[in-house]
Amino acid sequence: MSAPGSQIGGRVLEIDGVSKRYGEVRALVDMSFTVRPGELFGFVGANGAGKTTTMRIVLGVLAADSGEVRLDGRPVDARRRRRIGYLPEERGLYPRMAVGEQLRYLAELHGLSAAAARRATEQWAERLGVAARLGDEVQRLSLGNQQRVQLAAALVHDPDVLVLDEPFSGLDPVAVDVMSEVLRERCAAGAPAVFSSHQLDLVERLCDRVGIVRDGTLVAEGTVDGLRGGAGADVVVDAPDAVPGWADRVPGVVASRVEDGRHVVTLDRDADDQPLLRAALATGPVRGFERRRVTLGELFRHAVAAVPGDTDPAPPARASERVG
Amino acid sequence: MKAVVAPLRTVALIARREFLARVRGRAFLVSTVVILVVLVGYAVFVGSLGGSSGSGTSTIAVSAETGAITPALRTAADDQGRIVAVVPVADAAAGRALVASGDADASLSGPPDRPRVDVESSLGGGTGSIVSVATSLTAQAQLAAARGVDPAALDAAVTAAEPVVVAARPEDPAEGLRIGLGAVGAFLLYFSIQTYGAFVAQGVVEEKASRVVELVLATVRPWQLLLGKVLGLGAVGLLQLVVLGAAGLGVAGSAGLLVSGAGLAGTLVSVIVWYLLGFAMYATIYAALGSLVSRQEDTQSVLTPVSIVVLIGWVAGFNLLLSSPLSPTLAVLSLIPPWTPLIMPARIALGGVPVWQVVLAFVLTLGFTAGVLVLGGRIYARSVLRTGARVPLREAFGR
Repeated sequence: MSAPGSQIGGRVLEIDGVSKRYGEVRALVDMSFTVRPGELFGFVGANGAGKTTTMRIVLGVLAADSGEVRLDGRPVDARRRRRIGYLPEERGLYPRMAVGEQLRYLAELHGLSAAAARRATEQWAERLGVAARLGDEVQRLSLGNQQRVQLAAALVHDPDVLVLDEPFSGLDPVAVDVMSEVLRERCAAGAPAVFSSHQLDLVERLCDRVGIVRDGTLVAEGTVDGLRGGAGADVVVDAPDAVPGWADRVPGVVASRVEDGRHVVTLDRDADDQPLLRAALATGPVRGFERRRVTLGELFRHAVAAVPGDTDPAPPARASERVG
Repeated sequence: MKAVVAPLRTVALIARREFLARVRGRAFLVSTVVILVVLVGYAVFVGSLGGSSGSGTSTIAVSAETGAITPALRTAADDQGRIVAVVPVADAAAGRALVASGDADASLSGPPDRPRVDVESSLGGGTGSIVSVATSLTAQAQLAAARGVDPAALDAAVTAAEPVVVAARPEDPAEGLRIGLGAVGAFLLYFSIQTYGAFVAQGVVEEKASRVVELVLATVRPWQLLLGKVLGLGAVGLLQLVVLGAAGLGVAGSAGLLVSGAGLAGTLVSVIVWYLLGFAMYATIYAALGSLVSRQEDTQSVLTPVSIVVLIGWVAGFNLLLSSPLSPTLAVLSLIPPWTPLIMPARIALGGVPVWQVVLAFVLTLGFTAGVLVLGGRIYARSVLRTGARVPLREAFGR
């Protein structure tokens, strides 16, 4: 058991070919990805795509029909599972149990000694700003504070691996900051972490790598930049005198269209944008010339919108650097 | 070694949580006090009934050869403000038959100034004083009829005139206490098993309703959670049982109700052993049923069918126990596993249960409980994470 903040020997979490059916519904189909030591893996997908099912299988709360979850190359058993910090999508604590007692209890269930559990409870309650409420029943707390206690419950046994389902939902901005900080800290200490979120800007900001799930399968996986890279780049040109088709002959241009009176030109992945600027200047005055970064949101929408089996030309996801 | 210790420590942690959560609550204290008051009240009530039994009417069978006593019986009854019904019978045997069937309190036969009194177990106070006064009166009347009696001889004759009481089944001084212990034991067992069994179901549903079960089951196996819950709440029930038993015996002892020979220690041990077995059985059934629903409002509807079966057996058994403790129906009832823990201990308290029946009942209940643990544990493990609509039993059993 490591002390808080200490280095965690590089743990690797592997989800390998996991499938799960509920009757006729295929919830997961060959779900595979790997989270490396100290890596923060963002798990995104529409509701019902299979994120929660995957996490439940990692925690052994659900049994997979096939496939395997490994930690450090070995199947996750009861002992290894205790080293995982889990935040379930369906939040839940004992409503009539005092906050402190509850956190101590959960810490002890995860194998901490009574003394260590007491220390960890105080430490996390302090950190998450609920230290003053340790003696109160959970049901007497505001929803926001209950969320903070829930986070403390996931972290109180000083886990080596984090599996957090929607950790940011329902949090106020201060708690979001604390949570982000904690995630970065645990990762810096070497813990692999997976979290799902619909707040894609947060995912983009925090995550080393992202996995996009659709219909129970990972359809894209990689760094946000890597995913973005496949899509090339859009350049927004504000050249009022330019006529349609002005950029067609510029090297590296893939497509162009007009949005709100401005020209949006899509360049090849490695194309230089300076020839485009010269071509624009040749049409007359240029009031704006801006490379637009593709957001994770756009990547996500693209990946999720694609119909399975569709051979759509170059959806960003297809060009991803797939690992595992 | 560690591999064995860790799961058991988990179970102990869960049991401790369940135990403390219940014992610390005010409900535990209040319910203990209320039951104690009810039990003491029941004992006082039954005691007061016993003291005034036989008030009012006495029915006395009188054989032909003893017929001369009849007028004296009426006079004695009038003097004491009681009503006596005299049933003339042919002989002593006919009178004893009436006593045996309960149609007469006593049967008189033999010489009227020294009658033999046949009773079932004992001559009640009211009937007894009528018979002895009537005997004296008859003796006086007979002597007065003879002439020239010496007053001293008269006195001696009257003193010697005394009924001879013969009981068919002599009264056991500890019998009342044994019946009381059996009844209280049966009540406490029913109460504890039903109450704490229902608490187990409530606890299971609370964990489902609050969704905390997913967090707990991410580190604990379902069987550990179930076992910890049953052990923890079972211990609370046991504590209450012991507290009530000790307090009840204390009250009874200070009221002078305890008589030796009632097998007190044996009854206590048997009640506790049967409680443990019965609780394990019902708590598992209730936990499995509780795991089928996700809302506290639905708990009652899944428990009710089982509660009714339990109640029917218990009410039937309790009534038979008080009215005809030796009936074969009661013996059969006490051998059927779901009812055994509720009825058998009371029969044992009353005494006279053949050893083979106790052993058979124990083995049957043990086997049944083992089956319930396996099946109930399986239903629980399959259903406890399924929230939302009630899980059909068919699915919970598994395909």
